[in-house]
Amino acid sequence: MTQTARTQAIPRTDRELIDEFDEGLAVSPADIGERLWHFFISMRTGLVLILALAVLGLIGTLLVQAPSGLQANPQAYATWLESLRPKYGGWTGILNTLGLLSIFGSVWFKGIMVLLMTSVLACSANRAPHLWKLAVHPRTNMSESFFGHAPLSMSAVGSLEPLAAVASVQSAFRSRHFRTIVNEDAGGDTIHLYADRFRWGPFGTVIAHLSLGLILIGALVGSSFGFRNTGLAVSVGSRVDVGNGTGLSVEARNFTDSYYTNGSPSDYASDLVLYRDGKQVDAATIRVNQPLRAGDVTFYQSFYGAAAAMKVVDGTGRVVFDQGVPLEWGSDDGKHRVGQILLADAGLTVYVVGAASGEVDPQIRPGQMQLEVYRSGSEGTRIATQIVTQGQPMKIAGLEFTFVRERQFTGLIVARDPGAIFVWLGAILLVGGIALVFFFPNRRAWALIRRGSDGTAVHVGAIVRHDVGFEADFKCLTDDIKRALAGPSAA
Amino acid sequence: MFKMSEYSFIAGVLSVALALGCYVIAFVAARVMHQRTALAGAGAGGGTVAVDGRGGVNLGAYGTLLVYLGLTFLTASLIFRTVATGHGPFANMYEFSIAFAWGTLAMYAYFERRYHQRVLGLIALPVALAMLLYAMTIPATIDPLVPALQNNLLLSVHVAVAIVAYGTFSVAFAAAILYLVQGENGRRGLPSRELLDEISYKAVVVGFPFLTLTIVLGAVWAEVAWGTYWSWDPKETASLVTWLIYGSYLHARVVRGWRGERAAWLLLLGFAATLFTYFGNLFFGGLHSYSGLNNQ
Repeated sequence: MTQTARTQAIPRTDRELIDEFDEGLAVSPADIGERLWHFFISMRTGLVLILALAVLGLIGTLLVQAPSGLQANPQAYATWLESLRPKYGGWTGILNTLGLLSIFGSVWFKGIMVLLMTSVLACSANRAPHLWKLAVHPRTNMSESFFGHAPLSMSAVGSLEPLAAVASVQSAFRSRHFRTIVNEDAGGDTIHLYADRFRWGPFGTVIAHLSLGLILIGALVGSSFGFRNTGLAVSVGSRVDVGNGTGLSVEARNFTDSYYTNGSPSDYASDLVLYRDGKQVDAATIRVNQPLRAGDVTFYQSFYGAAAAMKVVDGTGRVVFDQGVPLEWGSDDGKHRVGQILLADAGLTVYVVGAASGEVDPQIRPGQMQLEVYRSGSEGTRIATQIVTQGQPMKIAGLEFTFVRERQFTGLIVARDPGAIFVWLGAILLVGGIALVFFFPNRRAWALIRRGSDGTAVHVGAIVRHDVGFEADFKCLTDDIKRALAGPSAA
Repeated sequence: MFKMSEYSFIAGVLSVALALGCYVIAFVAARVMHQRTALAGAGAGGGTVAVDGRGGVNLGAYGTLLVYLGLTFLTASLIFRTVATGHGPFANMYEFSIAFAWGTLAMYAYFERRYHQRVLGLIALPVALAMLLYAMTIPATIDPLVPALQNNLLLSVHVAVAIVAYGTFSVAFAAAILYLVQGENGRRGLPSRELLDEISYKAVVVGFPFLTLTIVLGAVWAEVAWGTYWSWDPKETASLVTWLIYGSYLHARVVRGWRGERAAWLLLLGFAATLFTYFGNLFFGGLHSYSGLNNQ
């Protein structure tokens, strides 16, 4: 869009030439700034960036995307990447390197987003003063030639006195909810009239564009200062710390999954109790569409599964563990469910393995769990693998393990999103701004009333763009004016 | 109620099919008449030829009547269905397809009243009819709502708003197709390019705020049911892509070199994205997999 390229050849005599690099063009920072500014306020730039974003979005729907948070775990990510190989073959690595498998976190996406927001902000900053001027200090006077060229125009001559003619023009506009500004020329023979409706409508574009920035800020604030745990598994009858600085712990008193007669699920409900520093602070039954909001932390029903209530007693008879263990992971072959017990004092990690629902394992029969005991910290040093039967204590590594009973666990999403408020505010402004632009179109018209030799001449003109409603309105309006202008005799 | 809904649906399909038939015949007849007069050199039959048979039977008017009739039947079908299921008729692909067709018909009817261009129906009615025929291939059985959909208010509003957006985009698509078919010289008995451009624009002006609202309401619902307002689910992303394309169309109209034909192409792209958003969950799964087509 920039037409004024101020770069110019520097006369050679002015300065010393080191090499031919100095013979070319010199560009000052101000020039670059100006060029950048023109680049960013260009609608074409915005258009291309929006389309580029759409292309990335399309890629994001067409290619499998990495589940969020997976990248934090390189091993899990590598496994996931491997699972794509049958689908994408040799392209898997390339797609991954290009960031196309997690496109919404890729440099491409972020880069275009930043450019687009810069463009949006620059455009708004560039446009707002102009809109303000149009709304607050509109140009009220138009010359006669304007009325000859305006897309919508009407001219009539009547017997009314100029002031009476102005009044009738004014009332015609006012009855259609226009604001009118009358401006008399020094001589008193020429009167200018300006009329507009919904003069704040165009600010909708500024509001809508800035609201996008607010939504983006909300997303950034949320990801920087909030947390989102999508996999908090709480076994029924057990209490688990929420962590993330909330000071909360959550206990699942009950979980029910209900089904319709056709087998599809009808309801998942968890009875939760929240504690802070050991004291109960809240209790509620949550469902899929019914989260529990405790202050700024929200608990959502997300998944569920089988758990094993386990009890571990040490050599002195002290109970070191007595909780439900959610079997929250599936084994690679899909035939087993796995849960984990961390026994920090004993330095042990115990995996509790049960048959997945619907699977039959001759080793692990109903009413049994397999315990795999590892020394914590050193990967791979398995101490023992034992099958335990419900209600029968078993000594492993100096501890007595009891599989008390099968239970269920409820899987929760726990989130705190301090940015959400900005997102919602942005969303409201976005919808409101867009509605303002499109449903309250700014309409502007001018009139010129002049005493002439054969009566009072009235010219009315308007500039319209894509506004059919106004064209029809304009016709009615000018008909009214003509009628009034002809005087009472014609009525 | 379920039976009533089915009967109304079939009656609606027939009405729309007949309406389309009337429009096609009326359009062809008008073209033939126009060519004859042109050949005979009698009367300057210039300007646009409306889809309006001037013979004894005004097929164009019957077509419009049938559009209203079809709209009434489909409305009745959706209402009966709502009563029968106890929730807004938007919970699976069958219900949603009828609703899509309803939205297209309703928006077509609105724009026809406003601009008197029944030729739009030659494109818009096939879109509606295709949706209805598609619905006919899907079992109409009423399945109870899975937990995620058990939010009657948001289910109804989120999807109802989407229907309006989709309907207007169908109209914009129809006008854009005619715009491109029309060519520079306007020889094909179609409305002027300016008018078609304006109809597209007006349709998007209505549809875009509704699409925005659909996405925002979707985000509200996602926050309640899925624990986050945005999770880059394929349907979410596709709707965002659609929103971006229509957003770019609105911007394109004020950029030199992007007006006219390129803008019309953006509308075709936008409608493709709309259909992609609509059908996308069938191909890509994701959180919006409520079509009712994957469980037997």
